[in-house]
Amino acid sequence: MKLSADKKIDLRDVLRDLDRYRPKRKGWTWRRKLENHQLGPFVYRNASENLKQSIPLPAAHAFNNIDPQCDFVITTEIASGRFEDDLRRMRMAAWHGADHIMVIRTTGQSHIDGLIEGTPEGVGGVPITRKQIRATRKALDAIEEEVGRPINFHSYVSGLAGPEIAVLFAEEGVNGAHQDPQYNVLYRNINMHRSFVDAAEAKKILADAGILQLDGAHNANATAKQAWKVTPELFVQHAINTAYSRAAGMAPALIALSTVPPTAPPAPKLRLDLPYAVALRELFHGYIFRAQQNTRYAEADTIEATITHVLDTLISRLTSADIQSTITPDEGRNIPWHYNNVAGVNTARQTLMGLDGIMDMIELKKDGPLRRHVRELKERAVLFLEEIVENGGYYGAIEAGQFVDSGFYPERNGDGIARSPDDGDRAGTVIKRRSDYGAPVCSHFGNNIYAEAVNKACSAYGGCTLCDPEKIQYIDELDPEDNVEQRLTMPLAEQAAGVLRPEVEKHGDGIVCVTIFIPATSRLAENAALEIAKKMGLKKAQVISHRLLHPAEGTVFEVKGVLDVAIQIDEIPLSARTEPLADKEIEAWVRPRNIHVIAATVGEDEHSVGIREILDIKHGGIEKYGFQCHFIGTSVALDHVLDEALRVGARVVLISTIVTHSEVHKQHMRKLNELARQRGVRERLILIAGGTQITDELARDCGMDAGFGRGTMGRDVASFVVCKLREAQKA
Amino acid sequence: MGCAERPDDFATRRARIAAMSDDELHRYFWSLAEKLVAPLIEEARTHTTPSIERSVLLRMGFSSIEAHTLVERMDERGLLAYGSGRLVLELAKDKQISVRAAGTALLAGQYWEDLRR
Repeated sequence: MKLSADKKIDLRDVLRDLDRYRPKRKGWTWRRKLENHQLGPFVYRNASENLKQSIPLPAAHAFNNIDPQCDFVITTEIASGRFEDDLRRMRMAAWHGADHIMVIRTTGQSHIDGLIEGTPEGVGGVPITRKQIRATRKALDAIEEEVGRPINFHSYVSGLAGPEIAVLFAEEGVNGAHQDPQYNVLYRNINMHRSFVDAAEAKKILADAGILQLDGAHNANATAKQAWKVTPELFVQHAINTAYSRAAGMAPALIALSTVPPTAPPAPKLRLDLPYAVALRELFHGYIFRAQQNTRYAEADTIEATITHVLDTLISRLTSADIQSTITPDEGRNIPWHYNNVAGVNTARQTLMGLDGIMDMIELKKDGPLRRHVRELKERAVLFLEEIVENGGYYGAIEAGQFVDSGFYPERNGDGIARSPDDGDRAGTVIKRRSDYGAPVCSHFGNNIYAEAVNKACSAYGGCTLCDPEKIQYIDELDPEDNVEQRLTMPLAEQAAGVLRPEVEKHGDGIVCVTIFIPATSRLAENAALEIAKKMGLKKAQVISHRLLHPAEGTVFEVKGVLDVAIQIDEIPLSARTEPLADKEIEAWVRPRNIHVIAATVGEDEHSVGIREILDIKHGGIEKYGFQCHFIGTSVALDHVLDEALRVGARVVLISTIVTHSEVHKQHMRKLNELARQRGVRERLILIAGGTQITDELARDCGMDAGFGRGTMGRDVASFVVCKLREAQKA
Repeated sequence: MGCAERPDDFATRRARIAAMSDDELHRYFWSLAEKLVAPLIEEARTHTTPSIERSVLLRMGFSSIEAHTLVERMDERGLLAYGSGRLVLELAKDKQISVRAAGTALLAGQYWEDLRR
């Protein structure tokens, strides 16, 4: 399957022949780091290899559109409930630099004692099934080819069916997985004997498949009432899962600690979170660090969340990280939307590129309050471990409610999560192996008569599925109604019919979000905002964020609602639908014709960045096709523009104009058209206006031949000029 | 539910470890962690679960649905302590049929009385 940048991913193609699809590689992959990476005008110290195709950070337009990639793997968590919609979002995230795609499981899958098959729709996540992960891996295999960097696919090996899911992941080329039996015990109330016995088998399978394991300690952060006080316990939780993983046969290079800076402003975040981050990295030296961003305190305000996430990412750079995970800024208010995954990824990469090389210039102090706090946290963690040992071990400590207590250990507030070793989901399902117990398969943990075999444990029957994937039994669908084929009927029909609808999460959801400021007291303002949203035609209008600006002067709201509007593609003006000509075709036509172009910024405007990018060869501008470009300056009078056009015999006039309050930009365009007519040269000249707020429609209304706005490339302008001149030639 | 309330007595509790160097403290931290997981990993080494047994059958080439039924029936008969994979493999050897044929036969209700005890 091959993707093309100008075409949507073909979901039918993804689903075709899945029964025979095999992943092209297995195991975790890191970025290829580059120490002194020259890119555009800069040398990067903490970079990795460039992507083949990507969408640079917004400000890159001022730096030759460079798109440097940081040295950390960047994670985004994607799960709308329909994996087919998620695949499109994964592709968008990959183009923005995500190379670790984590798929959240549907609510309740932890308690399903076995595998799910087919592609049922999930709630708050996706049911993890063979078909779903195979299709996702297939799509990601194509997406990674498109962007030119391996993408790690990740999900969860927790819950009751851990060993089976681990086998599934090993077979299907999943690259990373959460596996931490403490998560089952504390947050899912799954019986602890069952959780730990299952976990050893699951960890052995993950280890042999080269799958990177993440632990679940970060959940204590998200759960605890005062997350910064739970830090000594976090070291304990990390240590238990790490020591257990080592004992189950997992190498340190596959053991990742999932760690979150625990606080958010107005707390003195760095002062609290930095000692914790340093202590963790010292105690767990040699393991992998997956730095997660904080979710505990973010609610509705996406800007607030973003700023906290920037500070989280700063801590990663000040200490270390191997993976920088991202949280979508809207996670506190809804299931993340497409563009917020991209926003989250961009928060991390913008921050990390901005911090490039910083540690060459500064260092953390080796004495003073930082070291005192680091030491104190380590000691508190050691005392915590000591007490568990003294009280009879891990199970006893869980029973005594020693975990997720809100006290700053050794302080105890008596509000921890207590579980009995004899209770919990599937208590009593652990069975003692007989002395002649056997499991004739690879990656099996523990006593096993086949482990001593001369060859592999599975050689007696020609190999297990981990050695011979042909033996994998593929189940397509079990439910004739609740499956991807049924769900795709409407979206694909609409796509074929050329229908477009707004969307944030799933095809055709119609959800839009508007920002409304109301100059009134809060309660009144909220009701006014909702009424306005209704008048705008939004159904199910709902305030998802409100920020009080002043008790009496006003509040700003973000209101979401369903806009039940579909647009036919053929209703959109033709010029907006046509693709520009190919580079080669433009150049072949332009170069032999010696076409002169006059360009200027008009009015009282000193900006020249935008127009320079359209012209200059080094920015990919139209010079490269062989146009003779004459940039005559900024704040140029319109008469002078035409004088110069006539003097050099130009066929094309490009003016750049900013949008002004008094609509002077419209006057400029109209005036240029008028002057050209007065001088009798209007027919000879192609008049083009550009600027960030210019639209084609606006420019044409003002007498221009075309207008180009934000995001225009030289190719767009060149293509238009060639088409226009060809038309003129024919006429 | 939770443990008894207690004030922050860190200052007195730390007396024993206050003199340790950072390296000593790290080593002590890990020795305690390893001590805690030792009985847990020993239980895993010597015990199994329905999920582990289903995962073995998956690896032997059975579907999730087949593995589920086989393990459920073996569990009903108190056979899981032998290992589901061992039961199927030994049956296949006995009858000189493939592993898949042995599992499929069991699913069809055959040979249950022949499974080794």
